[in-house]
Amino acid sequence: MDILGYLLIGFSEALTPQNLALALIGCFVGTIVGALPGLGPVNGVAVLIPLAFSMDLPPGSALILLTCVYYGCMYGGRISSIMLNIPGDEPAMMTCLDGYPMAKNGKAPEALAISGIASFVGAFIATIGLMLFAPLLVRFAIHFGPAEYFALFVMAFATIGGITGANPAKTLIAATIGLALGAVGIDPQSGVPRFTFGSFHLFDGFHPIVALVGLFAISEVLIMLEMKAHERSQAIKVNRAFARWSDIKPTFPAMLRSSGVGFVAGVLPGAGASLGSFLAYTMEKRYSDKKGTFGKGDPRGVAAPEAGNNSAAGGALVPMLALGVPGSGTTAVLLALLISLNIQPGPLLFQNQPDIVWGLIASLFIANVVLLVLNLPLVGLFTRMLAIPLWALMPLVVMVSFVGIYSISNSSFDLLVMVSFGVVGFVLRKLDISLVPVVLGLLLCREMESALRRALSISGGDPWILVGSGISIGLYVATALFLVTAIVLSMRKRRAAKVSREVEDEYVGD
Amino acid sequence: MAQARWSDRIAGVIFLALAIWLYVEAGSYAVRFGDPAGPSFFPRLVAVPMGLLALVLILRPDADPTWFRWPQILSQAAMLAVLFGYPLAIEPLGFPLSTLIASALLAKILGATWLQALALGAGLGFGLFFLFDAVFGLPLPTGPLLG
Repeated sequence: MDILGYLLIGFSEALTPQNLALALIGCFVGTIVGALPGLGPVNGVAVLIPLAFSMDLPPGSALILLTCVYYGCMYGGRISSIMLNIPGDEPAMMTCLDGYPMAKNGKAPEALAISGIASFVGAFIATIGLMLFAPLLVRFAIHFGPAEYFALFVMAFATIGGITGANPAKTLIAATIGLALGAVGIDPQSGVPRFTFGSFHLFDGFHPIVALVGLFAISEVLIMLEMKAHERSQAIKVNRAFARWSDIKPTFPAMLRSSGVGFVAGVLPGAGASLGSFLAYTMEKRYSDKKGTFGKGDPRGVAAPEAGNNSAAGGALVPMLALGVPGSGTTAVLLALLISLNIQPGPLLFQNQPDIVWGLIASLFIANVVLLVLNLPLVGLFTRMLAIPLWALMPLVVMVSFVGIYSISNSSFDLLVMVSFGVVGFVLRKLDISLVPVVLGLLLCREMESALRRALSISGGDPWILVGSGISIGLYVATALFLVTAIVLSMRKRRAAKVSREVEDEYVGD
Repeated sequence: MAQARWSDRIAGVIFLALAIWLYVEAGSYAVRFGDPAGPSFFPRLVAVPMGLLALVLILRPDADPTWFRWPQILSQAAMLAVLFGYPLAIEPLGFPLSTLIASALLAKILGATWLQALALGAGLGFGLFFLFDAVFGLPLPTGPLLG
């Protein structure tokens, strides 16, 4: 069957009244989560996963709900960047640069409209890219044996930190922490309990969702409390409801260029929406900033990062769905959802459950249209929500996390584990150790170990099987090249940092 | 002032100890026939890079972060007390009451007035209870209040 045929199946799956309603709710909630500063896509999706479980949705519908939240976040993040000069989430950071000056110049409606349309263009192009590119990757990956998968997992861990100049040793140690945490519990292949201290509470290991909500949401609340010192600034008043078309039209070429850049950044390992928007902005600036207007409210400077981050968010779904190896924080969280739903992403998912994959892709198209409608005329509603005080928002997040976890496990032990993970997450973030590799390690430990053990069973214990094919060797070489680049960049940054040192608190990522 | 670099060193020592423990503990898991790697091979494979990277942290530490700011540390401590207390209270007090108290306290810590805090607590306590218990059909402990 060709892509169109599959897409038709997908739309018939996504257009049921229930799934349509879920997509609508997901888009709405996602935009709010994205718009509220301090509540990024990772936290938002993590907190809502247990909720999706408590609603007892079928796997396809749960996936639709949460990916719509994910896409919604990417749309919402720009609102507070433009109105408050505070990014609603990390990928929206670049939108502050030109969005806020535009709003200050009395062009808030244009800035909101341009960024909304740019989000649509970026996400739409990325969804088409996902539809075309993921099956190609699947056709390639179907030949992977356990040894190749092991190499792929190694590559995922080595590259998840990206080339942002963060200390690579810390990113890698974060991955080993995650893998060690993932090994806790009864070994599924031999039945031996590992690292449990004999406690039956730990025999099942750490539930990834409990760990996830703790690491991200609870640590975020603790960090938030520290930042409380600087008050929120007042949102800019919007005096006109509609944007002028003449301001929007010239930004379309920038949107298209940035969507391409963003999609590539999203598909590549170790790069998420943040890098997508960063690259899109810098490339657009280099390409079209002839008069030095970027940073002072250039509409193209608003269009580029928004198209870039939404496109990267879609691109990041490609490796997650086709290989089961996520490239960013939020897709790692989505992977946690899939694993909890007993869906193992990867080539076999496309073969065995095409209704899930294509239903998801179709619902992404629907989500995009819904989001465009929500974000153009209703943007005022979301702008007003920026005024929700912290004292109401944070307890809400905490309590939804608690009740979500409690309702799936009915055990206060899991709640204590969640809070403990929150404290661990807080300490790790203080140490500048990224949480995304920890979560990824926890999630992928079982798969990675089983790939290794299957490979060694095939070869009768001969470790040379791990580098026995061109694909594995290629993956290891790429991993090594990537690590060398990351180390060189971080050493350069370290030298620069000696001159002026300002320790910044790390954001969770996208 | 010279940069203090103790945090990474201490973390490195902890991770090194953890890595050694993982390696030794994994060695105690019996190896079965027909499974050449067995349950101990992969944890050991993780422990080795963890130990080496811990050494990197010890030898090349970054500058210390600002661990806590005054007076925010007080609110953080209070919040942790609420977060750890809540799971212990949920079964004896029931969901609505414990949630009311916990979210009111959290709101208070975040700077709400008592009236705002209580209103939010009541809203969350009963609202979430209604949503999960009545709408989603997931039983939550009712406690003495509604019991």
